[in-house]
Amino acid sequence: MSELLDARAATLLPDGEPLRRHDAAVFDLRRRRDAAVAALPDFEALRTHAQAIKTHTLDYLDAYLERFESQAAAAGAVVHWAEDGAAHNDIVHGLLRERGVRRVVKSKSMLTEECGLNPYLEARDLEVVDTDLGERIVQLGQELPSHIVVPAVHRSRAEIGELFHVHMQTPSGESDPVRLTEYARRDLRPRFLAAEAGITGVNFAIAETGTIVVCTNEGNADLGMSLPPLHIASMGIEKVIPTLADLATFLRLLARSATGQPITAYTSLVTGPRAGGELHIVLVDNGRSRLLANSTHRSSLACIRCGACLNTCPVYRRAGGHAYGQAVAGPIGAVLAPALSSQAEGRRLPLASTLCGSCSAVCPVRIDLHGQLLAWRRTRAHAGAGERVLQRAAAVVLGRAALLRAAGALVRLCWPLLARRWPGNPLGVWLLGRQLPAHPGASFATRYRRLKGSKR
Amino acid sequence: MSARDGVLARVRRAARHEVSHPGAFEPARMDSGWERFASTLHAVGGEPVGPVQSGDLSWALSELCADAGRVVMGPGVAQSLGPGPWEELPEGVSPQSLADVAVALLRGSIGVAENGAVALDGRHAPVRALPYLCERLILLLETSEIVPDMHQAIARMPPDATRFHHFYWISGPSKTADIEQTLVLGAHGPRSLAVVGIRDLQ
Ligand code: SF4
Repeated sequence: MSELLDARAATLLPDGEPLRRHDAAVFDLRRRRDAAVAALPDFEALRTHAQAIKTHTLDYLDAYLERFESQAAAAGAVVHWAEDGAAHNDIVHGLLRERGVRRVVKSKSMLTEECGLNPYLEARDLEVVDTDLGERIVQLGQELPSHIVVPAVHRSRAEIGELFHVHMQTPSGESDPVRLTEYARRDLRPRFLAAEAGITGVNFAIAETGTIVVCTNEGNADLGMSLPPLHIASMGIEKVIPTLADLATFLRLLARSATGQPITAYTSLVTGPRAGGELHIVLVDNGRSRLLANSTHRSSLACIRCGACLNTCPVYRRAGGHAYGQAVAGPIGAVLAPALSSQAEGRRLPLASTLCGSCSAVCPVRIDLHGQLLAWRRTRAHAGAGERVLQRAAAVVLGRAALLRAAGALVRLCWPLLARRWPGNPLGVWLLGRQLPAHPGASFATRYRRLKGSKR
Repeated sequence: MSARDGVLARVRRAARHEVSHPGAFEPARMDSGWERFASTLHAVGGEPVGPVQSGDLSWALSELCADAGRVVMGPGVAQSLGPGPWEELPEGVSPQSLADVAVALLRGSIGVAENGAVALDGRHAPVRALPYLCERLILLLETSEIVPDMHQAIARMPPDATRFHHFYWISGPSKTADIEQTLVLGAHGPRSLAVVGIRDLQ
């Protein structure tokens, strides 16, 4: 495990101000969620209902996908299927190339992040502009989003001002969010008007009507899909829901769980292309059908990407999204990575959790996130040899009280050495930005005995 | 095998076809009056106006649009208004030609008390980009069309709503909080949104 920690420690949020700001910002979202939930008597029943719809949908996903495909096609959309991220990128690029498109505006889509679409298109001489403000910020900073709802939450206003200054020639030192947002608006508006294609994600796809539903607060997705003649919508196959009526349940949960809003500012239902335009919908598998076949883990496909589990997670709040090294961070990222990520280290993410269960308590579709994390730990087939030895040793020590006492004594003895910086310290990287807490001096059992003795 | 057949075959093998759909949700009873709608709309950054009698609408809108620049009104609004500082949405125009619109005046339908959203049917916004290009959006809403929650709102959508390629739920103006969680109105779309309640349209 230590290699994972070493490699990732560098991507952790630094201690001090950046950490405090990040923690406060995401926990503020959690508090807003709580207030919205408290104001809605239906909320817990809605969660149960949403979970039931998702369980049913996943159980009949083949039928709903076919229904969605035929309804969308009947409305004039062209439906494409992609086995994986590479196939998705290829389809999108093909559509753009055939039409001679050079300039593309894109709204937030975790799927295209998962597929690495931007670098793929840029390498082929296309100009791709992310239009969600947070996404635009991370695009200018050439990094991954660190949060699925607020992609640039790890950045300070001063850093954002500096990025804008470098890339958009805004006044140096500007850090007022209102003015920075206005600069971004003015920079992006002409790009919207000149774009030849718009790429969006999909929040929900309605099988009954062949409709795609896109939820945003900025209205950027709407400009992107209503100005250029070509609209490409990318979605994972798990985004399908059965009926229009089911949509109400998810709309009531999504924004409340994400930001505490009763609904996003814009909820756009799009069925087929607009007059004179084209709509292409790309359905992407990329590991999802495999996950569906896994009876322990299929429920993680129910995720509606609200971000609530990130906002409440003590590990995410402390570490920041980049520490996960995935397009999707936080508890749901750690649950999905072992199944969907191509990188070996994704499979280790379930280890980076306290299993406190806060994520499961807020998830609007009642995914048993901490249970999922625990289950991945059990089925993890890729533990390194060194790690296996450590795990076995731990099992022996934890299984014998005398050994555990001895090990505790040893650790207390070594504590001052561990807490100090020196070249051979196994905790070395962790001490770069933080300190080990003082230890209590004696084991819990010893202190308990003392306490009982003094009471008598 | 095509990608489609490959994906579907795997999904078919994995789908168990066991758990049935839970049926309709039974929402808790909530109020659906203009007051509740208006207070929710206010909370999401929108401006509730009125409700006004249809006879006073022209006057109320003239007030709202005074000195605004280019005001364009969509279908379904014109017949209830006399002349004023507005033009009718020209037919067959490109969305790009509406980039300078200051105010879009559109006929909304169905208001949702629980979240302040108003439905904008594609027929009332034939140029799909108009409600996002304008600086200020004004939606007209009959107060009798307010429902308590999203379930009833969606049940009220006209049966052919999804055939008309776009149907919007709009709750408040465009907003972002992407810079240090500071709420800023007018990220891309309208900086302000007013919903004018009408007691007796037509
Ligand atoms: S797992 Fe649940 S809480 Fe986390 S993002 Fe998905 S839906 Fe939201």
